[in-house]
Amino acid sequence: MSNTPGYHGSYLRIDLSAGTMTNVPLAAETLRNFLGGVGLGTYLLLAEGVAEHDALAAEAPLIYVFSPLVGSPLTTSAKFAVVSKSPLTERINDSLASSAFAIAGKKCGCDAIVVVGRAAAPSVAVIEDDQLRIEPAGDVWGLSSRATEDALRERLGGDYQIASIGPAGERQVHYATISHDGRHAGRGGSGAVMGAKQLKAIAVRGTRRVAWHDSKALIALSKDLSQRSFGPATAKYRELGTASNLLTFNRLGTLPTRNFQQATFEHAAAISPEQLTATREKTRASCAACTIGCEHIYAFGGSGASSDGLLQKDAGVRLEYENLFALGSLCGVSDPDQVLAASRRCDELGLDTISAGGTIAFAAECVERGLLDVPWLVFGDGDAVLRALDEIVAGTPLGQQLALGSRRLAEQIGHDAIDFAPQVKGLEIPGYEPRTLQTMALGFAVGTRGADHNRSSAYEVDFSEAVDRRDVQPHEARLAVDIENRAALLDSLVLCKFLRRALEDFYGEAAEMLQAVTGWDITAAELEATAARIVAAKKLFNIRAGWRPEEDTLPRRFLEQPLPDDEQTTLGAERLAQLVTAYNSARGWTSEGWIEPVQQASLGLSEL
Amino acid sequence: MHNAIEVELFGIPRSRAGVAKTTAQGERLGEVLGDLEARFPGLAESCIEGGQLKPGYVCNVGGQRFVTDPQLPLAAGDVVLLLSADAGG
Ligand code: SF4
Repeated sequence: MSNTPGYHGSYLRIDLSAGTMTNVPLAAETLRNFLGGVGLGTYLLLAEGVAEHDALAAEAPLIYVFSPLVGSPLTTSAKFAVVSKSPLTERINDSLASSAFAIAGKKCGCDAIVVVGRAAAPSVAVIEDDQLRIEPAGDVWGLSSRATEDALRERLGGDYQIASIGPAGERQVHYATISHDGRHAGRGGSGAVMGAKQLKAIAVRGTRRVAWHDSKALIALSKDLSQRSFGPATAKYRELGTASNLLTFNRLGTLPTRNFQQATFEHAAAISPEQLTATREKTRASCAACTIGCEHIYAFGGSGASSDGLLQKDAGVRLEYENLFALGSLCGVSDPDQVLAASRRCDELGLDTISAGGTIAFAAECVERGLLDVPWLVFGDGDAVLRALDEIVAGTPLGQQLALGSRRLAEQIGHDAIDFAPQVKGLEIPGYEPRTLQTMALGFAVGTRGADHNRSSAYEVDFSEAVDRRDVQPHEARLAVDIENRAALLDSLVLCKFLRRALEDFYGEAAEMLQAVTGWDITAAELEATAARIVAAKKLFNIRAGWRPEEDTLPRRFLEQPLPDDEQTTLGAERLAQLVTAYNSARGWTSEGWIEPVQQASLGLSEL
Repeated sequence: MHNAIEVELFGIPRSRAGVAKTTAQGERLGEVLGDLEARFPGLAESCIEGGQLKPGYVCNVGGQRFVTDPQLPLAAGDVVLLLSADAGG
């Protein structure tokens, strides 16, 4: 039992090859330095000492991490991080999901679950408190995550929470997700890492609760935060969902279209949530322990079913901006039914929609340019997108190529394909056009998990008065550092990023929450330093995994080719390089981005 | 004589006003916002107060720079976008 309230003070380490589980203590200092979620997961990943191993090797760890706030009454705190090396990028991957899995996992008496090794056959790891048993998963192999959860609950009992992979994870598609209760730890292919371990699912049930340092203060803070979460700062998410970005981004020339060949989509209105809401029913839902409820689920009667019957015909479709852009405008698809069908299919198969859409859109451009001989794969054809998704998971020759993501597909195709593969470090670029959102472009370039908007959050700077988003200058790189640090803190506490505007004094309020939970006499300044440490720790992992400075850039398309309806706007290789240098300097790293031993020491990372 | 400024609304402002586009009068951003506030009770309740944007909302002129300053001068032909400040997705 930990001396630190809010924590158990240990993690469970499962070796699937040996079928064993051990309870490993965590030092109080480690908890304070890395908090939980992404921060603690990065520490544990580094501590395993296998950064150079292949992401899908048996030795590669897959880490589920909870946080001090999990189980507390603080709104949106039921989150867990999944941290591993990414098969797409061969760099760190930290993805987050919100669900009751976080609460049940922590009640097993641990702050994290580290999984190494590989099971001899498809398996389910069943953890009840600190006891492990490995059960066969042959009967659920091939099922969607949802069907797997249902089948295993029937087998194990209803009160287990189950995180699992779908068919994409089993096939080790490099952008497969891990899912629980319809929420995905989505980006970077953690589902493939789980599949490589022959681990179909992890089921958790426990009885162990942590103490809170000051329950009265925690309840007061929670009530206040919940109250604010009903206010204007989150109205967009509650009432419209993230999909409402679509028309705004289209108007601002930041909506990636046809593999980033354009940044406006002439059919945006047809696939907009405004149009979808006018023509079909919509319901709202929320993650566990969330008072915001940003999930908007659209009724969908179209079949979209694959021949193996994976899909339920009457299920609604949860629609986020990223699905809408990646499977809509990015692939040039204007039929809302086809976008909904593709979105649902990704959900059931366990595919990251951004990487799936990005890779398919890239392939479509390769077909257009005569670099790939797949005549049916053309922009604007929603049936082609559905077929491509099925081929990815069926493992056809084309599907096997697409399953590797756009960077590896470009390397196989050769010619100049890598110049327009929509990725950074191998991770497909999300729905934020880098040429017209240049702080975001910097965030993509330096991002430790590749092109990722959530870990960077730099789009927030671009959508503000702070910069001219079409002409961001090196002295403004500091803003990308500040916003990335805040994101790192949110991802380590863990709280939902959609709450951030409800926090008036970001670091101060986070410190108050941690004080109430843990009893630490922690300050806003300490938390700022902690956030910077966590970002640096992620970079340290990448350095150990073989990172080189030349990775911190964007594909040539974004540096050399202006957008057709915004020809004045350019980013250019030279200015991006200046921005990256300024970012590195602002972090106190070398201008190329290395972390010197002295800097490592000052960040409190020496022991790693 | 005031400028006629075209205003486009997105997200929450659009759903509160019930229109995607309108024209407002004013030579400065604050006057345009005040005109919208007077004509659209839904915007007055949620997005605009006393000719100023409430927290969580932002304007953009012509799809270029984001602005919030009520004193910002506007010229005839300017298009003002009114949107939620949080672009997270
Ligand atoms: S705001 Fe949305 S994503 Fe965040 S916790 Fe709530 S329902 Fe989940």
